This record gives sequence, C-alpha cells and structure tokens, in this order.
Amino acid sequence: MNTMPQPDQRDASLEDARLDIMLRQVWDTPRGLWGALATVDHKVIARRYIITAFVFLAFGGVLALLMRWQLARPEGQLLGPDVYNQAFTVHGTSMMFLFAVPVMEAMAVYLVPLMVGTRNIAFPRLNAFSYWMYLVGGILLWGAFIVDLGPDIGWFAYVPLAGPQYGIGKRVDIWAQMITFTEISALAVAVEIVVTVLKQRAPGMSLDRIPLFVWAMLVTSFIVILAMPAVMVASTSLILDRLVGTHFFNPAEGGDVLLWQHLFWFFGHPEVYIIFLPAVGMISAMLPAFVRRPVFGYIPMVLALVGTGILSFGLWVHHMFTTGLPRLGESFFTASSMAIAVPSGIQIFCWLATIWYGRPVYRVPFLFILAFFFTFIIGGMTGVMVASVPLDTQLHDSYFVVAHFHYVLVGGAVFPLLGAVYYWFPKFTGRMMSERIGRWVAGLLFVAFNFTFFPMHLLGLLGMPRRVYTYQTEMAWGGLNLFVSVSAVMLAAGFLLFFLDAIRSARHGEPAGDNPWGAATLEWATSSPPPSYNFARIPLVQSADPLWDAGDELPVTSGLRVDRRELLVTTVGGALPEARESSPRCSLWPLWSAIATTALLMGSIVTPWAVVWGSVPVAIALIGWFWPGGSKEDES
Amino acid sequence: MDKRWAALSTLLLALSLLGGCRVENRETRLDPPLAEALDHIALMPNGIGGTPPEIYTIMGKPYRTSSFHLSQGKRLYEWFGCQACHGDGQGGNAPSLIDGWWNYGPDLTSIYASIRDGRPGGMPAFRNRLTNEQIWQLAGYVQVMGAYSPPSAAPGRSDRPQTRPAENRAPAASAPLR
Repeated sequence: MNTMPQPDQRDASLEDARLDIMLRQVWDTPRGLWGALATVDHKVIARRYIITAFVFLAFGGVLALLMRWQLARPEGQLLGPDVYNQAFTVHGTSMMFLFAVPVMEAMAVYLVPLMVGTRNIAFPRLNAFSYWMYLVGGILLWGAFIVDLGPDIGWFAYVPLAGPQYGIGKRVDIWAQMITFTEISALAVAVEIVVTVLKQRAPGMSLDRIPLFVWAMLVTSFIVILAMPAVMVASTSLILDRLVGTHFFNPAEGGDVLLWQHLFWFFGHPEVYIIFLPAVGMISAMLPAFVRRPVFGYIPMVLALVGTGILSFGLWVHHMFTTGLPRLGESFFTASSMAIAVPSGIQIFCWLATIWYGRPVYRVPFLFILAFFFTFIIGGMTGVMVASVPLDTQLHDSYFVVAHFHYVLVGGAVFPLLGAVYYWFPKFTGRMMSERIGRWVAGLLFVAFNFTFFPMHLLGLLGMPRRVYTYQTEMAWGGLNLFVSVSAVMLAAGFLLFFLDAIRSARHGEPAGDNPWGAATLEWATSSPPPSYNFARIPLVQSADPLWDAGDELPVTSGLRVDRRELLVTTVGGALPEARESSPRCSLWPLWSAIATTALLMGSIVTPWAVVWGSVPVAIALIGWFWPGGSKEDES
Repeated sequence: MDKRWAALSTLLLALSLLGGCRVENRETRLDPPLAEALDHIALMPNGIGGTPPEIYTIMGKPYRTSSFHLSQGKRLYEWFGCQACHGDGQGGNAPSLIDGWWNYGPDLTSIYASIRDGRPGGMPAFRNRLTNEQIWQLAGYVQVMGAYSPPSAAPGRSDRPQTRPAENRAPAASAPLR
C-alpha cells in the first residue's frame, strides 16, 4: 500500500488506518536527541512542564521542612538567620513562580487543545521557547541558592530592602532576572492559549459550549497578559536601580518606594487568581464526571469567572493597608476585597447545587474536590477577615497571614490540582493511578494540611511574626510550633506517597481505556494517551457535553490536508469553519533563541553591557526563527 | 535506563559539590580567635605599608572581594561619622578618599592602620570603638571607594541625594601619578 501522501491530499477519502499512518508521518516528533530538543508537540512540552513544576514543588517542600525543623523548638540551631532568609525567599519564589503558575499553564497547554478539538496549540514554537525559558529561570534560582547566592528578600522583594543600598551582592539581581525568565514564559503561554481558544475550536463549539476549564484558562490568560507586565516593569526598574544607578525607588531623587509595592501587587494580587481560576476550572471539568450531570448554572459560572478576572485588578492595595493610605482608599479596597468573595461564592453554590442534584461517585478526584471545599472556604473566610483594615493592621506580617494564604493557595489550588492529576493521569499516560493509595494520599494530605496550618492562625493571634528564624522560650509559642512541625512531616509523607504512586502508575498502572471516567468533554474523544495529531478527524460539536449527547458515534468533519501539518481555524463567536491553517514543524530555533536570551539575561546580572552585546545573538536567533519559509499559508 | 540513572547521579553529585562553594557567605559573627588574629598586621616602621596578617590570606581576602563585607563597611562609614570630615568620599575638612591620592599608602594594611591608630593632622584612632573585623570592613570599603577601576564587588548607590557616582559605577576621580 502506498502511504506516501500526494500533494494536497485531503483526509475525506481515506480509511481510518491509512489516515492514521499518514498523519503520524506528518505530526510525529522524530525520535532521538534532535527530536527531543526540537519538538513543538504541545503534549510533549506540557508533560515536561508538569514534571519540572512538580520537581520544583518537591524542592520547595524540602525547604519548608527545613524551616519547620528550625522553628520546631525555640532557639533552633539548624539554619542561621542568613540561610533562613534565603530559605523562605526561595521557598516562596519557587512555589509561586516555578510551581503554581507554570503547572496551571502546563495543564492548560496539554488539555486546552484537546478540549477544544484541535491538533496543536497556537504558536507551537513559542510554546517550546517558553518551556526553555522557564527551565532556565528555575535552574537560575536554585543554582544560586545552592551556591549561597539565593535571594534573601522575601518573595515580593520590597525596596528599600531589595534596593541597591540594602540588597547586598548579586542575590536580588538573580531574583529580578528569575522573574524575567518566568514571566516571559508565562506571557508566551498565555498568548498561545488565548489564540487557541478563540480561533482553533472545533466547528460548532460556540462560546456557550466551551468547557468551563477552557473558559477559566481563557480568563486566566487575559489576566496574565494584563498583570505580568507590571512585575516585569518592576523587576527591570529594580535591576536598573541596582546596576546602573537609576532612581525609580529612591525618594531622595524623585523616586518612590511605594511605587514598588503598587507595581508588584498590581501583578501580585491577580497572580492569586492566575493560580486559583485554573483550579476552579479543573473542578468544573471534573465534577460532572463524578456526579453524572452537567455543572449547574453554566452561564453564572462563566460570568463568575469573568467577574473574578475583572475584580482581581481592583484590590491589590489590600496588601498595603499598613503603609498609611488615605481613608477613602482603605474603604474602597476593603469593599472591593470583600466584593470578590461574591463571584467565588456563586461558583461554590453552583457546585453545591451540582452535587445536590447529582449522584456522587466518591473516587479520588472527587475526594480532592471535597477537600478543596473545606480548606478553601476557611481560607476565603480568613481572607474576608484580613480584608478589614483594623484587623489587618493587627495581623499584618504575622503567622495568621501565613496560615491564610496557605489555606487559599494549597486549599484553593493544590488540592484541585492533585485531583486533576488523578483525573487526567489516564489521559497523559494511558494508565490509572492507584485508587487505594489515592484515598490514603487524599486523606493524609487533608488532615495533615489542616493540622499544619490551622494552628498558624493561633500563632499569629498570639503575635508570632512571619519570617523570624527563631524565637525565645518565653514567647510560649513552642508547643504549637512543635505540633505544626510534626504535622508538616505528615504532610510531606502525603506528598511523597503521591509522587511514588505517580511514578509507579506511569509504568505499571492499570490500563485505562479511552474514557475511564465516562466524561463528556472532547479530550476523552481520542485515545489515551492521544496520538501526536490528537484527533484523526476533527470532531463536530453539537452540544456543551458532546460525548454524552452524541450517542455512539461522535460526528466529525473532514477536508484537512494530510501531507502537511494543518489545522482548522474557526470564527471567534460561533466557531464556524473559516480557514485551513498550516501548523509549524519541529525546529531548533526556539532552543537557540532561548539560549541567546539566557545569555543576555544572565549577563545582565553582572554588567549592563550584556544587554547591548547580548542583543546580537538574540537578533540572529530570532531572524533565523522567523525567516520566511517556502510554503504558502492561509488557504480558505 | 542505566545511562539515565548514571546521568542523574552525576548531576546530583555535581549539585552537591556546588553546594560546597559558598560564593556569598555571610559570617555575622567571626570566631574570637580569628578576630583576634586579624589584628596582627606587620607595619613598616614609618607606619606606611606592610603586610596583612596571615589569617587574612587564609580566609581568602574577604574584605576586598565580598560585597557583604564591603556593604558593612559602607554602613560603618556612616555610623561612625566618617562623613563629618571626609564627606561622601570627596573630602571636606579631611582629605578626599576618591581622588587617587593616598597620603599614607593605598594598600589595605595601611588603610587598616590609619583607621585603627589614627594619623597626624586630625584622623582619630578607632581601635577602641570598632572591632578588628569592623575596621577591616571599613578599610575594604574605603579602598574600593578610591579604586582606579570599577570593582566587581561594590555596594550600590544609596537612597539619598546623589553627590557623586555610586561605588559600583565609578573609578577614582583621577588616576595616580606615575
């Protein structure tokens, strides 16, 4: 049988087996080192992203354990003040910039193209580039920490502590450029997701049929695009202040110290929702499979997502209540902080209604969803507490705040994420994770988490400040701290069990089949793990729950070429087919560009001239990347 | 598979070795014997020029290369009123520290001796006000301030009105006569 594709051959006339062979020829990533470095397959890159992010989670967790060991008893001797400062900074930075944001975006890079029924993410080469940038940023931070150059200024690097006068040595510069690396990668992924969602949906998937996870990622990506530039501006101004003596944050020369806090939190507060909204989307995606009915109130859910996204930009100042604000400012930002509880509340009630009307199946992902409800609601309520200025003035920089944001971030994002890993693991690997071990993991994490972090509320009320490397016996914080530290070991055991189960199941887990949960969304319409081309024939969507409503046979479209990488571009609103668009092949240029950009950014930690001379290799790499190819594009 | 484990273990080994080199170690409290030994400079009879104590070399000459010690020196420069006479380094009642001229020698040992013992013409002795280590930190900072080429380790600018380029931006105002 001749499998060589003819020029301009379409898929309509081909049989399934033959189509599979031909699509593989065009879409498969070549084996070997070249293929590994040049791949632009969104699934391969997302897998790397997810694994790397979990490695950073484990590293950050080790630091947390070291800190808990140090704080377990008064006058601890394990870490000195200097190492402790680095430890909490690298822990926070790593968890926020190297774990939480990238892992959420990585899940989207894997799932969004599958959920909207397309063959690859938009701008796949940019996707490859973004992974390399992220990887280098992580190596920079952790490498610096290992050689005692770790940032020691807290994850939000307030000036003047981080400024040229008090931020001694190169530690802060490393932090600032790590920000640049990770934000470049986050922005790149956000752009890809927006374009994928708006232009590459399967025909028929009009705006009201988009899965809620995809909606969540669309809103998140817009938040990323609007918020991340603020922190890049801030970190660049900081490094300019330090390296070439500008005065952005020097009040004596017309700069402003509070400018840093405004710029940082204008990013930093939406950042919370950048982490939280994908988790919300994951819950909305998982829940229907376990209660056997669609999510209650699709439109209120979407509006709540969009509303959260908009409101998230209006409350950054509540991180700055103790800086001395005008009364009107305090009132406004208190009100807006409390207002954002409304859309979150709407979602919670919609989920409760979904469960109420459904028939719950208590599998592991569902257990994580329940764990999310409990912890996140506590975190949300302490959030409303610290949104009130008088209380916040008392609790500012105390362990109460530490407890609050761990409840929000771990309860609101990590629990859903772990549930999501259990849920989509069969999609990633074709194998199930262990249900029995999973129950242990969920139970252990839930109990240990609450044991670890709930007492921190009390410690905060007892006056224990954040970021102290030790405390005296007379403070009477020893008992609670010891309890917290022991529980932290339990928590770590839960995570260890999770990692071991994931590693074991990836090789020896039970084979899953294509749709083990009986879910409704399109990512389950292809095999598990999906082939390199995702869908042999692009599905035709006729309802919000295509796999439930379509019956035995999912309707498909045809007409795409099989002799080159091609995908279908549809209209923004109704997802009507618009054009066939070619999709880029594997290329090494993203890697070269990432190496050149790395040289520039790393060099700029040491000398400003690196920006000048480093731009030459970057320009060469980008010219190579965007050199006009020979193939025609954009045929209708 | 074996290859992968070999690569992984090599990587871990390399990482742990890296852990051995502490680039920016910040010793907040020196061992008393070390601090004591730091005072044993060998000075020429006229009080200009000499050799630093052996322990300084053994420690890796930290007071000239570590940005932590240099920044500590900068703080001491302010806290102990050096500005009252030397200004921001450009001098005032006392000679400038950044014009490339050193009345009592440009080497670190001489500067250490100047601060510890004072000099004729109004420079007070600080031996009873600063610890040995602090005098070294201050001496290192003063030398960096007047260095002839921009140093790789130096404090950044201060958060106050600028009267001269920051230490990490500028070499000394004029090169020495040769």
